[in-house]
Amino acid sequence: MDRFMEQVAIEASQMYVTEEGKSPFANTTIEKLPDKVLTHIFEYLSHLEICRMASVCKKWRQIAYDSKLWKNVSLRPEISGLHVGSLESLLALISVRFGPSLRYIELPIELITHTVLHELAAKCPNLTHMLLDFSTAMQLHDFSELQAFPAKLRYLCICLSEVIFMEGFMRKIYNFINGLEVLHLVGTYEKTDQEEEEIYEVINVHKLKAATPNLRVINLYGINFIDDSHIDAFSSNCIQLECLAVNFCNKVTGSTLKTLFQRSKRLKCLLMNGTNLQSEHVMAVEWDKCILQELDITATDLSTECLIDMLTRITTLKFLSAGQINGFNDSVLKAWMEAGTCKSLISLDLDSSDNLSDETLAKFITRYGANLQACILSGMSHITDQLWMTILPILKQAKILIMGCNERLSVNIHVDQLMDAIATNCSKLERLELRWDPENLRFSDKSQKAIDLLRVKCLKLRCMVLSDGRYYELVKANFERADRMTVVRNTTCCRVSPYYMLQNYNDLVFN
Amino acid sequence: MKTIKLQSSDGKIFDCDLAVAKCSGTIRTMLEDLEIDESSEDEIIPLPNVDGRILRKVIEYCNYHKDDPTPIATDNDDNKEKRTDDIISWDAEFLKVDQGTLFEIILAANYLDIANLLDVSCKTVANMLKNKTPDEIRKEFNIKNDFTPMEEEQVRRENTWCEEK
Repeated sequence: MDRFMEQVAIEASQMYVTEEGKSPFANTTIEKLPDKVLTHIFEYLSHLEICRMASVCKKWRQIAYDSKLWKNVSLRPEISGLHVGSLESLLALISVRFGPSLRYIELPIELITHTVLHELAAKCPNLTHMLLDFSTAMQLHDFSELQAFPAKLRYLCICLSEVIFMEGFMRKIYNFINGLEVLHLVGTYEKTDQEEEEIYEVINVHKLKAATPNLRVINLYGINFIDDSHIDAFSSNCIQLECLAVNFCNKVTGSTLKTLFQRSKRLKCLLMNGTNLQSEHVMAVEWDKCILQELDITATDLSTECLIDMLTRITTLKFLSAGQINGFNDSVLKAWMEAGTCKSLISLDLDSSDNLSDETLAKFITRYGANLQACILSGMSHITDQLWMTILPILKQAKILIMGCNERLSVNIHVDQLMDAIATNCSKLERLELRWDPENLRFSDKSQKAIDLLRVKCLKLRCMVLSDGRYYELVKANFERADRMTVVRNTTCCRVSPYYMLQNYNDLVFN
Repeated sequence: MKTIKLQSSDGKIFDCDLAVAKCSGTIRTMLEDLEIDESSEDEIIPLPNVDGRILRKVIEYCNYHKDDPTPIATDNDDNKEKRTDDIISWDAEFLKVDQGTLFEIILAANYLDIANLLDVSCKTVANMLKNKTPDEIRKEFNIKNDFTPMEEEQVRRENTWCEEK
C-alpha cells in the first residue's frame, strides 16, 4: 500500500496539468453537476446566500427556490433569521417557496397576522413546529378575522410580552392546537431589570390547558405571573405529561406538587430552577410513589430536612441538579448514601454548594461515581484539583464535567496533571468546562503534551470551555493545529450545562 | 486481505482492498448483485462513468478514510449542522485541485455513492460561493447569464425581501 501511495504522490503532481498547462477536465464545469448535487451544495449555505444564488442564472434560480431548501425558516432577524420587509412578500413566499416542505417556522410579531396564518394553514400541510415571538409587541394585531391556523402542530413556542394580553389571539387558535405535544411559553425573565413593575397575566392558562390535552412536555420559562394554580391547571388535563419545566418562574412555591404527582403518573422530569419552593410543600409530595427520574431544584431555598426527606424517598432518580442551596450539606449527602436511593444516578450538579465538605463529596463520588455521566462540582473554592485527582479515576463514564470557581484562590491549580488525569480516565468525555481564574492555572512546558493527550484520548470532546487567558489561547491553538477548530471556547460565549443528559433535551430546546 | 479489481472508463485496472471499495454504496450493491465475496477470484468491476485519473483519487480518499466511523443515520436530518468550517486539513489538501477535477470528483462521489466524499467536496464548493456577488460567481465558474434584463430585474425583486437588515 505504501508503494501505491508513493505512486499516487508522483502522479498527482503530473495529473492535473497537461503540457499546455490546462487541466484535462477543463470542460467539466459546475454546469455539469446534476440538480440534486447543486441542491446539496446549496444546503450548506444560509438562506440569505441561497437568495443571492438565484440571480446567477435560470437553472440556479430554479434550484434556489426548491422548497427542499426551505424546511426550517427563521424570520427573526435579531436572532440570525431572515428579514422580510413586507407582508406581501411573505405571502408570496409561503405559497411559492415554502409549500409542503415547510416543517418549522419562526415568526416575529410584525408578521403574525391572520392572512399569514391562513396562508400557512392552507399551503403548508406539513408544518409541525412553530415559534411565535410576541416579546417585542407593543400592541397585538387584530385577529377577529382569524379563521384558520396550522392544524398539525406538535410543537408550539410562544414568546410572551409583559403587557400584551394574548387572549384575543389564543381564543381563535384553541380549536387548532389539540394535537400539541410540546408547549413552550417563554417569559421576559431575562429582560426585566426593574423589580417593582405591575404583573399582568397575559395568557389564560386555564383555557389553554383545556385545549391541549395531549401535552407531553410543558416548559414555562421565566414567566412572572405563573404560580402553583397554573401547574395545577395543566396537571388536571394533561394526562400524558412527562416533563414539566418552570425554571425561573419565581411565584411557584410547590403547593400543588402533591396533586401534580397524584394525577400525572408518567411525570419523569421536573425542572424548578430558581423558583420559590417551600420545604413544607415539597415534603408533602408522595415521593415514594412517583417515578421521577430527573429533578432540578437549583437556587431554591429548600431546607436540609426537606432535602433528606425527598432524596431518600425518590427511588428512581437519575438526574439531580441541586446547586446553590444552602441546605445541601454533608448530612444530606450522607443520608442519601445510607438510603441507597442514589444508585441510579447518572447526572449530578452540586454547583456552589458551599456547605459540602470535600471529604464527603469524595466519599460519595467514590461510591457512586462509576455510573455518573455528568458531574458538576463548580463554584466551590475548596474543591480544587486535589479532589478531582482523587475522583477522576472513578468517573470513567463521564461525558460532561464542570469544575472550578471564578474567584481567585490562594492555591494554584496544576492544570497539566489534571488534563492528564482526564485524558487517561474519561475517554467518553464530550463537554468540559474549567471555570478557574486564568491566574490560578499553573502550567509548564509540559502543557502541550498534556493537551495533546487529552485531544488524542478524548475523541468525542466537542466543547471545552475555559476562562479567557493564556491557558485558553494555548489549548485553543493546540486543538486548531489538529483541525478541531470549534472545540475550544471561552466562558464569555459558551457555558456547559448538564441538561444535555435529559431524555427530552431535544424537545426542551427553545429560542 | 482480499482485493478486487476496478476498471475505469478508459480501461485502466486498479487493485483495491475489498474494505476500501466498500466505502462506495454503488460498488457494495454491485458486489452483492454479482455475488462477489471473499472467496471469489479475479472479478473485475467495471465503472464506465469514472475516468482512471479520478478513480485513482477516489481510491486514495477511501483508503485514507476507510476506518472512519460510519455516521449514524438519523431520521431527523433537519438538525444536521450545516457548518462548512470543519473540513479536516487532509481533506482540504486532497481537494486542492483545479475546478474541473473537483467537479469530476463530485460526479464520481455522487455516482459511486460515497457520502463523506460527496459532503466534503460539496462543502468545498459552498465555501467558494460564499460572500460573492452573482457577477463574481459567474466569472469564477464560467456561467452564462441567461436572464433577459427584465427577468434579471424580476429575480432581484423576488429576493429583495431577504436583504440583510
